[in-house]
Amino acid sequence: MKIKNIDVQPGDYIEVSLIKKDYRGTLLETPKDEKGIVLLKLDSGYDIGINKKDIFDIKVLKKAFEKKEEIEIKKSPQRPNIGMIITGGTIAARLNPKKGGVDWLTSPRDLFKFYPELFEKVNVVRLEVPFMKASEDMDFKDWKKIARTAAKLLNDSNIKGIIITHGTDFLHYTSAALSFFLKNLNKPVVLTYSQRSIDRASSDANLNLQCSALAAVSDIAEVMVVGHASMNDDYCYAMPGTKVRKLHTSRRDAFKVINAKPFAKIFPDKIEIISEYNIKKKGKIKLDDKFEEKVALIKIYPGQSPEILDFYLKNKYKGIILEMSGLGHVPVRARKSWIKKLKEVQKKGLIICATSQCIYGRVDPLVYSNGRELLGTGIIYLEDMLSETALVKLGWVLGHKEWAKNKEAVKEKMLENFAHELSERLDVGEVKT
Amino acid sequence: MSENKIDYEKLGLKIGLEIHQQLETGKKLFCNCPSLLRKDEPDFIIKRKLHVVPGESGEVDVAARHEAEKTKEFIYEGYNTTCLVELDESPPYKINEKALKIALQIALLLNCKVLPISQIMRKTVIDGSNTSGFQRTVVIAENGWIDSSFGKVGIQSICLEEDAARIIEKKDKEVIYRLDRLGIPLIEISTMPDIKTPLQAKQVALKIGEILRNCEVKRGIGTIRQDINLSIKGGKRVEIKGFQDVRNIERAIKIEVKRQMDLVKKGKSVGEVRNVLPDGTTNFLRPLPGAARMYPETDLTLLKISRNFLDNVKKTLPALKSELKEELRKKGLHEELIKLILKKNKIEEIKSLSLLYHDLNLIAKMLVLWPEEIAKKSGKKVNEKLNIDVLETILQLIKKGKIFPWEVKEIMIEIAKGKTLKEIEKEKLKKEKIENINFIEEKILKIIKSKPGLSINAYMGLVMNEPELKGKISGKEAMEILKRLIK
Repeated sequence: MKIKNIDVQPGDYIEVSLIKKDYRGTLLETPKDEKGIVLLKLDSGYDIGINKKDIFDIKVLKKAFEKKEEIEIKKSPQRPNIGMIITGGTIAARLNPKKGGVDWLTSPRDLFKFYPELFEKVNVVRLEVPFMKASEDMDFKDWKKIARTAAKLLNDSNIKGIIITHGTDFLHYTSAALSFFLKNLNKPVVLTYSQRSIDRASSDANLNLQCSALAAVSDIAEVMVVGHASMNDDYCYAMPGTKVRKLHTSRRDAFKVINAKPFAKIFPDKIEIISEYNIKKKGKIKLDDKFEEKVALIKIYPGQSPEILDFYLKNKYKGIILEMSGLGHVPVRARKSWIKKLKEVQKKGLIICATSQCIYGRVDPLVYSNGRELLGTGIIYLEDMLSETALVKLGWVLGHKEWAKNKEAVKEKMLENFAHELSERLDVGEVKT
Repeated sequence: MSENKIDYEKLGLKIGLEIHQQLETGKKLFCNCPSLLRKDEPDFIIKRKLHVVPGESGEVDVAARHEAEKTKEFIYEGYNTTCLVELDESPPYKINEKALKIALQIALLLNCKVLPISQIMRKTVIDGSNTSGFQRTVVIAENGWIDSSFGKVGIQSICLEEDAARIIEKKDKEVIYRLDRLGIPLIEISTMPDIKTPLQAKQVALKIGEILRNCEVKRGIGTIRQDINLSIKGGKRVEIKGFQDVRNIERAIKIEVKRQMDLVKKGKSVGEVRNVLPDGTTNFLRPLPGAARMYPETDLTLLKISRNFLDNVKKTLPALKSELKEELRKKGLHEELIKLILKKNKIEEIKSLSLLYHDLNLIAKMLVLWPEEIAKKSGKKVNEKLNIDVLETILQLIKKGKIFPWEVKEIMIEIAKGKTLKEIEKEKLKKEKIENINFIEEKILKIIKSKPGLSINAYMGLVMNEPELKGKISGKEAMEILKRLIK
């Protein structure tokens, strides 16, 4: 970059002269939204900003130099081998204070430096980086990439299980997708995350990764999200990939199991099993990642007009999840009734499924007459399936031409339990005594 | 060797002070929880661990490593007034504007240059006293100065930062902290190493303390803490922490200088952080931290102090006591009363009352002298009854001429007894009327006695022409009195 016609690079030690005062410090990267400012790290460690227009001279005192450090990652034959897939998110991003920008942690060396405890538990023998993205930027094509990479690693007999690090925002969509895409799962597939950036000593990534390592070498052959069980740094839950949801914007125990139980409680040194799971087995896994992109998830609100469905029909959508009120209702005896429109679009081939925006509990259209009338239009009620899981599953089911061609088959598949997405019974949950 | 014989100049003694003062903002620096220390039992606990993180350039800070080598579990005690920010479970809110305002006031009173753009930083601290593993801090001003009787001392920087959690108990494998103190706004004032003697250090600390007390800062034990940086020729810089009483500073410096002289002689001086003990001696706390422990608080934008904001701060700048004294002296207030006004912190009151009436000495007596006297005599509290509104009304009555300045003390005594101003006024009028009538009768009697035997009409003419009675009596009243007296 050029300031006052002088070539300077982030990391250079410079002297900036203003009218009344000179500042010495290390030049930092200019934030994208602050083009008119030069950021300087003073010798005291504090960063200050200087308006470019106030600078009348700049001198480079010392050019930046990158220290190359060699870290040897010791492998031990006593430790089990795992594979790792890094996809981005907070858990794989570190701030580079020297430059002010963000670096991705993509090499085993970086990982080792930040997470030495992980490497005391396992050997990371394969590390794959299909892409680096914030999870809100991902879509079904990314799920497919992760699934293919995972399949490759899972079919490597040298590897006991895999850990996938991922951003938190849409992590539960990816976990649901992998649950459907990875058929005949033979080994543990662990997705994990961090809510606190890894530059801080308090980062939740440490416990999450230690517990993920234990999960990855366990006999739990499931797609699971492993993360903090509470705000304490004591143990994590291993949560079914189809029954988990991000329920808090910032807490470290952001992910909760809905309408089911975790597979296990995982401490840094032991696993306590909580519920039934598929046990690790021999054999190769089969990738089944067909996906129909033209699916949507709509949240119902009071007074909503059904004409929104015309948009989806016109744009050739194949299926829609309506996230309904309560037990599964949309406006029926209201000013803008949905009944007529629902009949019309389903007749034209659009698949309509129902989940509840209550999050907890299952839908049941039989309790109220409004529900019965809606059921009569042909809507598929998805029991206790989470809306996010339902969207992914609908895309996956409709991606299979042999199922998609008739509605009865779609209904049958949507209500078939492939990966714990439907619970046979609902637990009472926490009971206050 | 006696203390007096140490030639500090020859030793090349350099001392810098670091003063930490809690600000009175009501809320915390980066969340809206009350900034209150609680005495009751905590409502919940959270268990955490901290991990050493490589800082910039991948190095682990020496101070951070020292702390981490003692891997521990941290127990945090929280209250119903604790929020997710304090638990490191939510990003910080915007910086508290009142704290920023007070910090800028202090910076200006210390003649500092305010930095228009600064970045809120994270200072790595992993002894567990911060749930996040760092302390948020921002430099807001620098390059100031303060006068001492030994010469000017430079102010290096003014930072605004979060206070740490309170340590409750240190066990072998766990440390218990309480979260009520975490996040209370704190100002850090660092002087240049311009201080040359232990006595000067104490003086500068007292002077800065006086300036701070002019602003909205917390009062009482633990709300202000002093650290000292010192070095002598040939030795390394040592930081001494934990002064809660400014009187300890002088003694501790003298002791540490002697220790340093000894170490320098042996070639064994090392830079380190030491902790002061009540007797003025110190013990090792941890190695000196490096600049590697600072990196930006990425959850917040750059802190920009607009000209507008700064102008507003300037407008509300509290005057320093030394300046106030001069101002009051110029207005003619007696020295003793000035002292009392400052001691009892009635500056705002005297200012507002002086707008109503010119006599500052009277106002000062009403504020700081008489209420105490009255309370002492009656053995009752009078502050409530003699509040500022009552004093204001009294001054307004003087101005209207309804009461006289020499009556004020009496009136205040009556008010303290429970009478209202209205009642006092009525009584006063009644009394005046009676006094008036007595005066007139005496005068008329004098006229009669001086010229006996005249007719009533002749007396009437004399009375009405008497200059001292002019306007005080009507003809009808005069006639009635004459009739009564002549009978």
